Amino acid sequence: MPSDGTEKGFTCREVVELATEYVDGAMSAEDHELFEVHLNYCDGCVAFIEQVRTASRLSRRINESELSPDLREKLLAAFRDWKRE
Amino acid sequence: MIAYKVLEADGTGRFSGFRWPLPNGAPGDWVDGEVDPCRSGVHALRPSDLPYWLGPSLFEIELDGPISEIGLKVVATRGRLLRRVDAWDDPMRLAFSTMCIERARELAASDPQRLNAWVNADIDAGPALLGYVAERIAEEIEGPAAGKAERESQARWLSEHLQLGA
Repeated sequence: MPSDGTEKGFTCREVVELATEYVDGAMSAEDHELFEVHLNYCDGCVAFIEQVRTASRLSRRINESELSPDLREKLLAAFRDWKRE
Repeated sequence: MIAYKVLEADGTGRFSGFRWPLPNGAPGDWVDGEVDPCRSGVHALRPSDLPYWLGPSLFEIELDGPISEIGLKVVATRGRLLRRVDAWDDPMRLAFSTMCIERARELAASDPQRLNAWVNADIDAGPALLGYVAERIAEEIEGPAAGKAERESQARWLSEHLQLGA
């Protein structure tokens, strides 16, 4: 069931919020279906999901030890700010 | 069981990326998969499911083995494409889109101040989006049952115009 508890399906905002869950295959079958119904008519969300997939794929190729201390700190700061927004 | 499959124009699965063996005068090769709804198995559509999944090309598919009917789809352990539904072409996609946008405007006329902005969608938005717009307007006016009835009406339109099951 979508997070708003209705049967209306997902909004674009909800697709953005749940994108990682979808890409990681962590959604229930019911949510997965409603999510893909949305993607089937929303080209903008399809493009967004492709970006998330690419980011996910690329991030798996990077080890933490490969990051410079400066970049590591910048990323952590960015994540901290993102959570506050 | 005979069902339907929406694919990209080249026969690739829209979400799986799987390239289906296409029929070429004879049915395509059988494809096998363990049933795990939304993740693996052969996913296909009943005529009533079609409006939710419209896309570039439509095929008739034969399903075999245990078949589960789950939500807006069926999932089987094996299937093969029998034929492309040639009637689902550009003029038919346009006709369906036109029907949906006209229906959406007709529904929106009952509350133009609130709903007219919803029907600004361009006809080029395509059949999947315009079918959704008509469903949502019906749902907004009269509740979820009306939205579902709108989808059922769209499915009847598709079955009749594409001669599905004929």
